[in-house]
Amino acid sequence: MNFLQPLKITIPPQAGHFTTLRRKNSHACIRDMISRLHRFLMSCRPTTRPLACHTAGDLFRVIAVAVVIAVFVLLPPVCPAAERWMEATAPRQWSFPRDHGSHPRYRTEWWYFTGNLRDGRANRYGYQLTFFRYGLATEPRLPANAWSIRDIYFAHFALTDGVRKVFHHAERISRAGPGLAGAKRTHMDVRVLGWSAVMEGGRIDLRASHEAMALALRLTPAKPAVFHGERGLSRKGPGPGEASYYYSFTDLRTEGTIGIPGTTAPLAVEGRSWFDQEFGSNQMTKDKAGWDWIALRLSDGRDLMVYHLRKKDGTVEAESSGTLVEPDGTSRHLPLSGIEMTVLSHWTSEKSAGRYPAAWRIRIPGAGIEVTVSPLVAGQELVTKAAVPITYWEGAVKGRGSSEGKDVTVEGYVELTGYAGPLGGIF
Amino acid sequence: MGESIIRTYDLWKRYEVQGHNGAAIRGVEVDIRRGQIVALFGKSGSGKTTFLNLLAGLDVPSAGRIEIDGRDLAGLGETGRTRLRREKLGFVFQFFNLLPTLTALENVFLALELTGGADAKPAVEALVLVGLQGKEHRYPHELSGGEQQRVAIARALVKGPPIILADEPTGNLDSATGAQILALLVERCRAAGTTLIMVSHALNTCDYADRILRMTDGRIVEVHSCRELTQ
Amino acid sequence: MKSVIRSFLRYLVRRRSLSTLHLLGIAVGVAAAVGMTLASRSALRSLEEAVDFLRGGATHTLERPAGPLEEEVLARLATDPAVRSLAPVIDRQVRLEGDEKIRLLGLDPFLDREVRSVTARIGRSESDDARQRLFSAFLFDPRAVLVDEGTARRLGLAAGSTLPTSQGSLKVVYVFPNPTGEPLIVADIGHAQELFGLRGMIDRADLVIAEEAPFRARWDKGFKIESGRQKTETLTALLGAFRLNLQVLSLFALFVGVLLIYNTAMFAVVSRRRDAGILLAIGASRRQIAAAFLVEVLILGTAGGALGGLLGYLLSGLLAKVVGEAVSTLYFFLKPSALPWSFWNLGGGIVLGAAASLVGCLPSLLELGRVEPVRVLQGRTASRGARKTTNRVALWGALCLAVAAALFLLASLHLYVGFAGAFAFLTGASLFTGLAIVWSVPVLKPLFGSVMGLSGRIAVGNIRENLGRTSVAVAAFMIALSLSIGLGAMIDSFRTSVVWWMNSQLRGELYISTKGDVHVPEDFYEELGGIAGIGGIDIFRNVQITFRGKPTSVTSIDASVLQRYDRFVWFEGGGENWEPVKRGSVIVSESFSRRFDVKKGDRITLDGVDGPRELPVTGVFYDYSTEHGVVMMDRSTYLGLYRDRTINSLGIFIDETNPDREALIAEVKRRARARGLPVATRAEFHRRILDIFDGTFAVTRSMRILAVIVAFFGIAGALMTLFLERRKEFGIFRALGFSTGDVARLTVAEGVAMGIVSFAMSVIVGTAFALILIKVINLESFHWTVFYHFTLQPYLVTGLTALAASLAAAAYPVWSVYRKYPVVQIREE
Repeated sequence: MNFLQPLKITIPPQAGHFTTLRRKNSHACIRDMISRLHRFLMSCRPTTRPLACHTAGDLFRVIAVAVVIAVFVLLPPVCPAAERWMEATAPRQWSFPRDHGSHPRYRTEWWYFTGNLRDGRANRYGYQLTFFRYGLATEPRLPANAWSIRDIYFAHFALTDGVRKVFHHAERISRAGPGLAGAKRTHMDVRVLGWSAVMEGGRIDLRASHEAMALALRLTPAKPAVFHGERGLSRKGPGPGEASYYYSFTDLRTEGTIGIPGTTAPLAVEGRSWFDQEFGSNQMTKDKAGWDWIALRLSDGRDLMVYHLRKKDGTVEAESSGTLVEPDGTSRHLPLSGIEMTVLSHWTSEKSAGRYPAAWRIRIPGAGIEVTVSPLVAGQELVTKAAVPITYWEGAVKGRGSSEGKDVTVEGYVELTGYAGPLGGIF
Repeated sequence: MGESIIRTYDLWKRYEVQGHNGAAIRGVEVDIRRGQIVALFGKSGSGKTTFLNLLAGLDVPSAGRIEIDGRDLAGLGETGRTRLRREKLGFVFQFFNLLPTLTALENVFLALELTGGADAKPAVEALVLVGLQGKEHRYPHELSGGEQQRVAIARALVKGPPIILADEPTGNLDSATGAQILALLVERCRAAGTTLIMVSHALNTCDYADRILRMTDGRIVEVHSCRELTQ
Repeated sequence: MKSVIRSFLRYLVRRRSLSTLHLLGIAVGVAAAVGMTLASRSALRSLEEAVDFLRGGATHTLERPAGPLEEEVLARLATDPAVRSLAPVIDRQVRLEGDEKIRLLGLDPFLDREVRSVTARIGRSESDDARQRLFSAFLFDPRAVLVDEGTARRLGLAAGSTLPTSQGSLKVVYVFPNPTGEPLIVADIGHAQELFGLRGMIDRADLVIAEEAPFRARWDKGFKIESGRQKTETLTALLGAFRLNLQVLSLFALFVGVLLIYNTAMFAVVSRRRDAGILLAIGASRRQIAAAFLVEVLILGTAGGALGGLLGYLLSGLLAKVVGEAVSTLYFFLKPSALPWSFWNLGGGIVLGAAASLVGCLPSLLELGRVEPVRVLQGRTASRGARKTTNRVALWGALCLAVAAALFLLASLHLYVGFAGAFAFLTGASLFTGLAIVWSVPVLKPLFGSVMGLSGRIAVGNIRENLGRTSVAVAAFMIALSLSIGLGAMIDSFRTSVVWWMNSQLRGELYISTKGDVHVPEDFYEELGGIAGIGGIDIFRNVQITFRGKPTSVTSIDASVLQRYDRFVWFEGGGENWEPVKRGSVIVSESFSRRFDVKKGDRITLDGVDGPRELPVTGVFYDYSTEHGVVMMDRSTYLGLYRDRTINSLGIFIDETNPDREALIAEVKRRARARGLPVATRAEFHRRILDIFDGTFAVTRSMRILAVIVAFFGIAGALMTLFLERRKEFGIFRALGFSTGDVARLTVAEGVAMGIVSFAMSVIVGTAFALILIKVINLESFHWTVFYHFTLQPYLVTGLTALAASLAAAAYPVWSVYRKYPVVQIREE
């Protein structure tokens, strides 16, 4: 591949605040990233069928997030990122509210909200609102021009209607532009074209609307932040830099309104949400076939997150693990060996013919937990039919079981990738 | 003789020509019987053709009355007169007046068709009777004058009308052909019992007629022999 | 009945050449109408398609009433609950080498994918790798652009090519298909801002809006919000008068066509008269004969109509191109693509041909109904009575003219009234043809006698004797020639008026850039201001606005400079009209004044960035720059109203007496070129305007040609019929000792004599028609006064056309004479 040729023509002299050497590298890298970004753009047709584009890669939850980002990031040859993007290599000194904000020196970053809600009649709903930042360049070429690109921002928004058993989703994408999208560095204030997540006074306001879908929620952490891995350094693979910084609010008291297509007035709802924030530059590896990620809140106040990374050879990645959060907010790491996960039934998608696990028994013998969970609505699958078809399942679940010998009810979110065809035709 | 088929009562036709009044027909009264062969003589401009046109209902008299087969022409109206021409009258003209765009057969068949006939066979037979076998599909301009007139006679005869009006039928033909045509016409009429009124100034017409009339200045007088005409 | 019909129809075959001529006559008449209608429709459809293509899924656009929009507005739009999608657009033009201007759109590929497919398709046909490279280049290379297929093909561009423009070299990264055919360059919006020095600004936002009313309420002040429908309506309205004129032109062609059909039908009756007599005599009813005749006419009309539909369809391709070019020069880019073939074209042509035939044959049908078999069979023709009827017909003509005059007085009610008047006038004029022929005989007979001897005299006599037949042919030909003269004289007068206007209003030494062109940087204006010796610089800005729901425009100028150097022609008053303009009042063009009924002393309300503002009107001036009208104001007033600092063009004025004129001109030119700005001297500028003017009338000219072609078939058909009718006289001519040459001359003389009469009449009728076009039609459709100005050219051209057409029309008969005459004999049928 000869990058020099196009480079000479495309980079005009006045735009050159890179050195010659870096220009070459940066260009090659950008090109590579853009290519994935562009596939993404092409694969997701406008308005109607949002979430569902993308691919997989990351192990972590990051659901669609990962899905999207993976497209860009997972692929070799990853840019000589060391040169310009910082990498997650060591445990982090966290500092809030600063660390709720953006970390632009890392290439990818997301703010991920999912939640289980109920209206006044105890009808169940699920929501997901996710914001992604993906760096295309470490610096805009023309800082004085608001359109000059540094990062691309995406947002995904999904609502699960447990009453009508319907699933709705939408997405938005924009460069920062003149105030169209962005994330503040000082605190959590992320916006993409009118959708936003803003933290003020310890509470997070979420807003999004798309046609009849709408959401206006206020989230208050009931437990302190939980840091995954080693003080938030979450490893994704054995290599250096194959990691990200990752923390969660596993239990956020949630109240507000949602607008469900097919209903007229906004519904007052309350419930619990889960928030992940993760950032890094090079955390993906490519031997994975997909993952099963489950985040649950037990009625006794314990929160449980487990994930299985499924490798292409059919085994489960040894780094797969989980986190258990006690009602008082203390958490502990659950190694793969401490997690027993049994699939109880399957659901086959008519759209994609993908055969997904549809009920699980999860046992954490070391914590006295045994629960079974199943989806609120079976069809929470996202299917894209555009140029790059990618399909995955992401949705609200509920269940029951026992914790420390006591009966508990359970609700939460599950993400399943890699069940319907390859994890993205791009690979 | 038989019953009357054409009767006129005090028939007048006046023209207004540049302010001064003239009349082509002045008080004509005739009574023509069924099957009669009548020759009507007269000089050019004496009113013969006008008289024929009046009889055919093509022209309307200024005064007087015409009865054809006992019916008053004036009472028939345009529609009745058209039907009368279709069914009761055959016409033979000096200039043949065939439709130039139709073949001999089509010209003859046209007359049949107007009376509602759909069968072309009588037309073919009529052409055979006038001696034009084999020339049915010729156009008028492909026929000689005599042949054209034969077509015209066939056209007049084909529908078997009780009356045939012939306006100078030989006027445009050489005398030999004229004689043939005249003979043919009279023979066919006699055979069919058709009343024939021939307007002519050719004297030989006289020889074929049962009855001779002369028209002078719009009046008609009976002539009793051919010799009288030459006087 | 069948035989009756058959007997009539066989004439069509027997007189093939005549039938062919008549068929073609009808066909051309119908083709003109169908072609023009289709061209007009395809223009409209292309307009809608172009609007749709560029609009994509956007339901509305939001912009400032004039000038660019601050990009900060986008963030507010993004949070508006009614906005589902938004896409910023920069919509400008760049100039290529060779002075061609091309539209350049600045788009954001991320936001735009919700609205349009252009940027989302980048590299669609390429491999993944190439596609990624292209998209990357588009986002990061400030010079990267996409170019539409047509332009790429035309300019020989491909991905990787460099395209030099007024805004510097652009690099083509991808060629995209553009179904509308509009030349288009697409750049990333940020890059487009840099190219045009528009940092922080965009031209408009394309929006997908869910609830219009509350959105409008929120964005009412200082913004112009236009729905897709409104946009199409605005563009359609811009074309309104233009389109109407096209339609009317085609109606004129059809009018000549109907006359022609009348002509045809009448000849048919003449030749059927004898047959009708025979048929009546042997018992056919008049109704049967009329029906047979109708069938014949309808067959001719149907066949001609079908052929016309076909020809019209073919013609529409050409006309659409001409229309597209005219519209593109005058209003906005439009490249009408030929409409797909539809059998409705055939159906429409048939209906038109048959209907026109019915109308055209009606008088003849009535005549046939009155046939008196007695006379017909005796060989008398009815045309002898024509002499008497000539006067009666002329009387009807006078009545038509009176109706026309009345309609002209009422023309201000609606444009259609004026057009109806024009038709009444033409009808009236054509009814005078018989009289004109009668009157012209005493002049023509000696004339032709002296030139051609006996043949000439007989020829003129023939025309006179066959008045009933010749007058209609002459009428059709005369009307066609009148259209030609009228349109020609109108265009010439208009052109003269435009020249007069340019000389009074566009008196600058140099014009830098033009309206709708590359914009002039404000600092360049300041730079020029620093050159000593320049008398004044007019700073020109023109924007299209909507006033009382209709498109019109606002122009900002420097009132002091224009007061000093230009010679505006005012409805009332003179240079003192500028005084209040300097202090904030406005002046309006004649078109504006007439369209909106705004007069000196009135006040008009314009929507500015701070909401509506009332402005006093202190003058009305003559102007031909746009039929939609102009509100002109001083730049200070304009800036206060719109805060739009864009400059479209500069007019440089230098005192005539300044000894350094030439040097100054050279200096300004040099500096403008250094900035890449196009410069035109006054003469060049004027010439360009006239070029545009001439381009505009290309359509009119093509209709002129069509009218003449229709007329040719008319006159040829008439001559041929006369010739056929008279063939039996040839035997007599031959017996009298006429040579073949004599008869040929006779035939030619008939053609030429008819041509001369037609032309002589058309000089008068055409001039009157030009006056009608100028004083009624133009005034009502374009709202401006054009001054009649005599030029010889249209008369000369039309005269030569008439002569050529008459001679050409005589060609077949003459050929026929040479072929047949030597053997004709005296013979009755």
